[in-house]
Amino acid sequence: MTERTRDDIMIRAEGVTRAFGRKRVLRGVDLAIRRGESRVIIGGSGSGKSVLVKCLIGLIPADGGRIVIDGIPLSRATRPEVMRRVGMLFQGGALFDSLPVWENVAFRLLRGEDERIDRARAREIAIEKLARVGLGPETADLYPAELSGGMQKRVGLARAIAHAPSIIFFDEPTTGLDPIMAGVINRLIRSIVGETGATAVTITHDMVSVRTIADRVSMLHEGVIRWTGPVAQLDEPGDPYVTQFVRGAPEGPIHVEGTG
Amino acid sequence: MNPLAAIGRSTLAFLAGTGRIAVFGSRGVAALFQPPFYGREFLRAFLFIGYYSLPVVGLTAIFTGGALALQTYAGGARFNGEQIVPSIVAIGIVRELGPVLGGLMVAGRVASAIAAEIGTMKVTEQIDALVTLSTSPMKYLVAPRLLAATLALPLLVAVADILGIFGGWIVAITRLDFSSAVYLRNTIDFLESGDVISGLVKAAVFGFIIALMGCHQGMHSGRGASGVGRATTLAVVTASVLILATNYILTEFFFSV
Repeated sequence: MTERTRDDIMIRAEGVTRAFGRKRVLRGVDLAIRRGESRVIIGGSGSGKSVLVKCLIGLIPADGGRIVIDGIPLSRATRPEVMRRVGMLFQGGALFDSLPVWENVAFRLLRGEDERIDRARAREIAIEKLARVGLGPETADLYPAELSGGMQKRVGLARAIAHAPSIIFFDEPTTGLDPIMAGVINRLIRSIVGETGATAVTITHDMVSVRTIADRVSMLHEGVIRWTGPVAQLDEPGDPYVTQFVRGAPEGPIHVEGTG
Repeated sequence: MNPLAAIGRSTLAFLAGTGRIAVFGSRGVAALFQPPFYGREFLRAFLFIGYYSLPVVGLTAIFTGGALALQTYAGGARFNGEQIVPSIVAIGIVRELGPVLGGLMVAGRVASAIAAEIGTMKVTEQIDALVTLSTSPMKYLVAPRLLAATLALPLLVAVADILGIFGGWIVAITRLDFSSAVYLRNTIDFLESGDVISGLVKAAVFGFIIALMGCHQGMHSGRGASGVGRATTLAVVTASVLILATNYILTEFFFSV
């Protein structure tokens, strides 16, 4: 870590803490994610992966610690400064029900506070981005309720990349999808991240996703990053917690409620 | 359990809640004056709050006007004062019943709908998505609804006033043997511009309260369907109670000036 220059790090978190009432979800998270890297954060359900990602971009304020995004300390950055750099695919898609697909994709271009273009050009860009995620122009005028789960994820992905962000967050990108559609989404994420050169941070507990998407993997357990290493080391991580998680074994140091 | 401690906790919780609503309302009003402005969202909210509330508010006003005419006649007959029906109906509807009943009906319809819509957006992460898309939820969701409700309610209440007086007139000429011309002349002679203005000012304040409570409860909705359901109920209950409390305060104010 020490040999890297400061500019090489796109996202840095030092001692990040966050509690909800008495529940300490993050207990001092340290992360350093390089520019252009695809980092996957794994961890059990309720381990705080989503909270961590939301803290990293300021959607949830951290109680303590320091977060630096693209060289800018989050505590000193304005929200538009951060969001200009960020695209995010949400777990359930988080598409706006009242707007057609193309307006969802072009939302930031039409209504964002930092960049606005005319509707005709925004529609063109939306249709380009939809094509990039494998959806034809006929989907542009549909409403989110008319789409399948896989299509909604793809629209969400098109929306996340519409303004060419330098950091893309993927929150459980394959949850709720059948294995084939999950494979399609994983490949799309891999190719889009590769093409754009964006830094990608994915949170998931789907090990197929991890192996497809990740350059490096971090495991969040009990509020701290327990292990970080290249994806190739996942089968022999040298950490019993990671081994148990990767193998999906009920027996091991990770205690699962209800298994005695 | 110590009753004093319980009263203290409840008082502190009430004050904290009031403070949160006040801060939220101030931020919403501030957002009205900060670009960008979302005209489409405003028009959509205005149409929903104003135009689509017309049937329920109009029917409420007609029936209330009719009932008020009957009650006033029954009361007036005790001291040979049946002729006060037109003026009491007009003043009662315009100063009090139009804005209060209109406000309560719109609170039931609109505060619940706003809380449910925004609450659902919150639990499905659409509010977070707005933020990541460089859009302020206060400017995009809250400010247009606050403005739309504040402007729509006076218009709705103006229509309710006319329909309420119409309801009283129908009952007076069909059931109480009033002459149509005399009824209308009495209505116009006794009604003052101050009556109408005080009712419309009340309506604007009630509109603000309805949108504020709907947005506030929606933005602070708990998780899942039960969280949204609770937010919806709280929005209607708090908006209704605040309308009645504010109505008294405004009536005192107009009574004094």
